[in-house]
Amino acid sequence: MAERVLLRASNLTKRFGALVAVNNLSFQVKEGEIFGIAGPNGAGKSTVYNLLTGVYPFEGRVEFEGREIAGLPPHKIAHMGIARTFQVPQIFASLTVGECVDVGSRFGCPGGYDRAYTSEMLDFVSLTDQKDRPTEQLNLLGKKRLMIGASLATKPKILMLDEPMAGSNFKEIQQLMDLIKKINQDLGITIIIIEHFMKVLTELTKTLLIIETGTEICCGDPVEVTANPKVIQCYLGDAYAEN
Amino acid sequence: MDGKRRILIMAVVFGLVALLPIFFGGSKVIMHILIMCLIWSVVASCWDLIMGFAGIFSFGQVAFFVIGAYASAIFSLRLGVPPIISTFLAGAVAAAVGVLVALPCLRLKGAYVALVTFAVHMILAPFLKSNMGRAIGTGGAQGLLTIPPISLFGYTFQNAEPIPFFYLTLVVAVICSLIIILVIMSHWGTAFLTLKDSEDFARALGVSALRYKLMVFALTSFLTGMIGGFYGHYVGMLSTRMLGIDLFVTLMIMLVIGGVGQYPGAVLGAFFTVTINEMLAPVGSYRPLILGAMVLILVLALPDGVVGLIRSLFNLGGRGARAGGRMK
Ligand SMILES: Nc1ncnc2c1ncn2[C@@H]1O[C@H](COP(=O)(O)OP(=O)(O)OP(=O)(O)O)[C@@H](O)[C@H]1O
Ligand SMILES: [Mg+2]
Repeated sequence: MAERVLLRASNLTKRFGALVAVNNLSFQVKEGEIFGIAGPNGAGKSTVYNLLTGVYPFEGRVEFEGREIAGLPPHKIAHMGIARTFQVPQIFASLTVGECVDVGSRFGCPGGYDRAYTSEMLDFVSLTDQKDRPTEQLNLLGKKRLMIGASLATKPKILMLDEPMAGSNFKEIQQLMDLIKKINQDLGITIIIIEHFMKVLTELTKTLLIIETGTEICCGDPVEVTANPKVIQCYLGDAYAEN
Repeated sequence: MDGKRRILIMAVVFGLVALLPIFFGGSKVIMHILIMCLIWSVVASCWDLIMGFAGIFSFGQVAFFVIGAYASAIFSLRLGVPPIISTFLAGAVAAAVGVLVALPCLRLKGAYVALVTFAVHMILAPFLKSNMGRAIGTGGAQGLLTIPPISLFGYTFQNAEPIPFFYLTLVVAVICSLIIILVIMSHWGTAFLTLKDSEDFARALGVSALRYKLMVFALTSFLTGMIGGFYGHYVGMLSTRMLGIDLFVTLMIMLVIGGVGQYPGAVLGAFFTVTINEMLAPVGSYRPLILGAMVLILVLALPDGVVGLIRSLFNLGGRGARAGGRMK
């Protein structure tokens, strides 16, 4: 795939009162790649997603396919082809599984409602047999699949996943990794993934960005990045770095 | 609950109500109660739409009702607009106020929306009584008397003859209910539910929170204001007494009995509550006490209202309290 930059974030800064959650952060995501973001708790990873999807105002620029999207409301950003999931699984408790995925296609598809695509995406995330069940009856993994399915139903160009593996066991992690690879390869969707598991990141991502207290520590090839002493220090503390 | 079942319940309820004058047509008191049941069923339904489906804690429904009542009365009394037209204008006025109130509410959540909307309720009575209110024709503290009745095709619906008025009210209530059901079944209804359940995710999937919240405010305050205007032409006089806490609590009981988000439960709740309320009239000052106790008991005993009770009695299964907007 061509090395075209799909999303370019420049000098992102977000303050919550005195707290600087994201501090002058810049990065770019190339079309077709899986881009990882990691960092300790409270580093500002989820906040970066909130900035990219227009949840609240911030300083800096975000270019998507060459167009400035900073300042647009979330639903407009969704219509441009940016989809995301949430760290705490979000579902629509009043709806069935099928209706939930349908929301993405009904409200988020730039080309208009595509009901056939709803079924296709239900199938893609292996929820077809559960489509008439209330969403609340799904287990954690099911809810994550559902969140991904509804996001895919908007026909996004980029999908941003926020700690998709959290709370999953080894087998589930394997299943989710397969799903993410399939989204990337079969649907051709660019992916950003926030994750704590280094093994997941080194296996999936092409580029890895490490942030701490809202600031970039380093960015590049995941194997090199995870070997970087600065990264080891920020993750494990000074004692380890010295060894 | 799917749309077909909602329509079925509604058809049965309104169908039975349509037959009641056969038995009670001779009693002006009972006919008056039935007319009030129908009027309040519309107000309660609107409240259910905005609170039960869209999840917006609007406590301004009585205010929109009173705004509509006054607007229609003023248009017809002071400007000579025929009541049949002024009730629609009243709906438009209430909708405009509704949208104005909605704007600050867009940034607020839950209880704060309740506070802002209830503030509108609270300032309405002093405003209507003030010189400013008097200047636009509210009649000040005295209120409005001699509001003209509705005329249609040369026939005047007098409240002294309750049977024709009853059927007129029934038609209006059925139309309002159909509008509400169609909205619930359409993609509007789905959008309302998604914003209630998870606003963040709904927006991330392309649902415009701004558009749908303004829509639900505009629609519910339009219908509420219109039925308020209708009410004014029925009773023929208005005062700010309606803005006391009594009516507000009564309306809340209708919704609790019917079940929040259990449309058309709110319609049943309105019938039940108005009737009980009238039956309690002889106990006078104990009425608020009994009503208050009822709210408490009902909230604890019937969290999903009568519709929830019926469902669990007959084990109609399916989805929980917040079910609605099924995909077709
Ligand atoms: N809406 C908000 N208001 C105030 N502070 C916030 C808000 N959102 C996040 N923060 C703060 O910003 C910092 C970054 O939070 P963020 O959720 O982005 O971290 P994270 O890297 O996603 O952490 P985790 O790994 O725990 O998910 C934290 O200190 C957090 O408390
Ligand atoms: Mg986070």
